[in-house]
Amino acid sequence: GRNYICIYFNYSYRLLLNMSQAEFRKLIPALRIAIRPRSLRMRNIDGPGGRLKRIAGHVTNLIRDERVEHNFPTLSEARNYAERLIAEAIRHGDKHQPTMDLANFYLQEKQLVHKLFKVLVPRYRNSTVSYTKMYKAPTITNRKPAAIDHPKGILELRNNPLPPLEPRPIPTRNWIHNVLLEEARKDFAAEKKMEKELALQNQIEDQQRDQNDEID
Amino acid sequence: MLDRHDMITRRKHIDIPEFYVGSVMAVTINDPNATGRSSRFVGICIQRMNRGLKSNFTLRNVLDYQGMEIMYEMYCPVISSIETLRLEKRLDPHLLYLRDARPEYSTFPMDMEPELIAEDAPVPINDVKVKMIDGDWDKSWERQELKGIDLSGLTELQKRMALKRKTPDYVQYDLMKEYRSTLPEEDQEDIYREIAPHYPALVASQRKFRRRKLAGDA
Repeated sequence: GRNYICIYFNYSYRLLLNMSQAEFRKLIPALRIAIRPRSLRMRNIDGPGGRLKRIAGHVTNLIRDERVEHNFPTLSEARNYAERLIAEAIRHGDKHQPTMDLANFYLQEKQLVHKLFKVLVPRYRNSTVSYTKMYKAPTITNRKPAAIDHPKGILELRNNPLPPLEPRPIPTRNWIHNVLLEEARKDFAAEKKMEKELALQNQIEDQQRDQNDEID
Repeated sequence: MLDRHDMITRRKHIDIPEFYVGSVMAVTINDPNATGRSSRFVGICIQRMNRGLKSNFTLRNVLDYQGMEIMYEMYCPVISSIETLRLEKRLDPHLLYLRDARPEYSTFPMDMEPELIAEDAPVPINDVKVKMIDGDWDKSWERQELKGIDLSGLTELQKRMALKRKTPDYVQYDLMKEYRSTLPEEDQEDIYREIAPHYPALVASQRKFRRRKLAGDA
């Protein structure tokens, strides 16, 4: 289900409650990631326009390289925009003018607009999960002079052709101690079953003996 | 949600009609702490705020050359009736600039009769350009993007400042701002699914109220 959205949705619903009544004409598909109720403030010399341009830069890099590493909060924010852009592209396709304008704004290289509609949309069209994944990256760096170590993050598109970041899960069922433990568990279960059957048989015998005594 | 359950219950006792910012409405209140049995106020809806049980609207009228605005919470139990006398929309999301407009745009007679329109007719959009007073305005309305104001009487300085404050183009591309200002599709569907079982009862009670009102008028 969508339980991972609900926690944040309830918080943002409370914020929505205090706003003026906007019309809900435009139907926007829900984001499949948890979002914060307020947008991240990103100080920029060009103001809000510069902030959006910077986010567009990160989105461009993500679409081109399919994996980017940068400061965690900024990438988190860019992730929301990337998910929304891909969702809009899937919903409307490349013949829809406003979607083309959006792609034009967020993708600062024009071949990437083609990649978005021709490669990513078919890849994610039937997906039910998020289009991106976010990881926390190692922050510790040895710098002289010492500086603030900002938390770093890695943002990548799902099903990308790069080597995976997560290690493959190692099957541990055939390790010797697990084999022995499994057999021990089976033996224990069998023993318990036998004890139960014995107890039941004894109970039946006792009842019969009592009945015989009564007759006698 | 408990809010929604309470709203549905309230709507079974009172008919809250369709209205928009710019519609002329009449509200009667039966407040035990007020003088008189019930009081009726007629005015134009200038604003709608909040959501859920706290949803409210503000009515404006000019009585005895004095502008008055009253904010009513839609689900307040003190309200005994809400009527839409003239159902129409305006070009702006709010009409707060009527405070600095000429009084004739905010004056409505207290004994105004409801103006009926066909049920399936589209809501008329009133594209009047309101004329403003000559003196100082409470807010610089020319700098907000309001389509319902007649701005022909501005000075050159005011016009230049208005252009400066125009919303920039990049705002239309801000995907998260748009997302955070509305409810996503799946959550809307959840809400509709939740209130769908109550629709028949609600529609029946609405019809009852309107039949009763027509019988009362006739």
